Amino acid sequence: MKRPARAPVLFGGRPVIAFNEEVDRRRFLRGAAIIGVGGTLAVTTARDPVAFAQAPMGDLDILNYALTLEYLESDFYMQGLGAGILQGREMELVEPIGQHEAAHVTALTDTITQLGGMPVAQPMFTYPPNTFTDRAAFLMTASTFEELGVTAYHGQVVNIDNKDILAAAAAIAGSESRHAAILADLTGGNPFPAPVEATRTMEEVLAIAMPFIAQGS
Amino acid sequence: MQLNRRTIVKGAAAAIPANIALTMLSTKFAFAQDGDFADDIEILNYALTLEYLESEFYRQGNAAGLLAGKEAMYLGRIGADEDAHVTALTQTIMQLGAMPVAAPGVDFGQAFASRESFLETAYTFENLGVSAYLGAAPEIANPDILQAAAGIFGVECRHAAILGNLRGLPAEGGVYMSPTETPMTRAEVLAAAQPFLTGAGSMAGDAAVTK
Repeated sequence: MKRPARAPVLFGGRPVIAFNEEVDRRRFLRGAAIIGVGGTLAVTTARDPVAFAQAPMGDLDILNYALTLEYLESDFYMQGLGAGILQGREMELVEPIGQHEAAHVTALTDTITQLGGMPVAQPMFTYPPNTFTDRAAFLMTASTFEELGVTAYHGQVVNIDNKDILAAAAAIAGSESRHAAILADLTGGNPFPAPVEATRTMEEVLAIAMPFIAQGS
Repeated sequence: MQLNRRTIVKGAAAAIPANIALTMLSTKFAFAQDGDFADDIEILNYALTLEYLESEFYRQGNAAGLLAGKEAMYLGRIGADEDAHVTALTQTIMQLGAMPVAAPGVDFGQAFASRESFLETAYTFENLGVSAYLGAAPEIANPDILQAAAGIFGVECRHAAILGNLRGLPAEGGVYMSPTETPMTRAEVLAAAQPFLTGAGSMAGDAAVTK
């Protein structure tokens, strides 16, 4: 019952993420390089032997991958909700989404730390002009983000070894599905695009997200 | 095949009317406990019973003429999703060489008395489904079944959120259930669903078959 997931375009393909430290970029990109995504990534990692290491993707890698996407979502909502472009019920419905993404960042960071791993640091984000000036554009981008997040989590379900981490990731993914449905409703989309959530591999997600991640300093 | 169903929770739950069961859903939270399920087949049949319940609920409710416009469209789609879940679970169980449980007898009481009671009961079923899938998912051994169950779980979350919004509930605690979804054990799910099941049918019965 899987459906092919159409690749969305975010921010007109302009970079919005930059990592302060090269090591953080490598942590995020490590999994990407192992599975090999498109040309953009190859350029950013061609001189990066760590990124090309043929280590298996572990739970920590998956958690850092999720953490980076949650950083992006959390920052996006913080700026958008602070811009005063939403009112009334729309504001009431979107405000908790921003709080949830921030909570996901905290939960993933804590989990990675408890497992003895090193959480990727929060990257820097720069958004194209008008990202937070137009209500409709903001909600459409939010909707795209949420659908991407849903497919990203569901694409990792069977790759997670640890049952407790699987349960925690699923509990987070469920809230992303709720967000996705509400934002689809607010933007005139379909809250129920399929009877079963679609999946995207890490390669597919990063192919969409990579244009927004600036080269490390 | 006649399943020899055992109603291990019926004594406690049968006396609970549906309207009270609605409020029980938010009282206890836990993942499936060790021994809740013998194997993936048992989890699939557990899910199938819930999906049968939902599918029949929307079939009756959507035929009652209580909704109009976007609400009617949304609940039509939700009902179609539940039908698809029933089909998918049934086929999966048969492909695994096992026997799907029969559809349970159902009694939805006064759920279709009004738009409000229909939406409220639908909302309750969806959130019950969310917690049931989340509680059982970590126990699933087969990766393909896990992937499918997680995918269904996410869609039940979508249903629950939209139904909460149609009811005009507060965003947090109504449309959304905190930053993370809440699992329920099998016993908790059974206690909540039992008031809507009639006759000998009981979600607890499969344990008697496989154990």
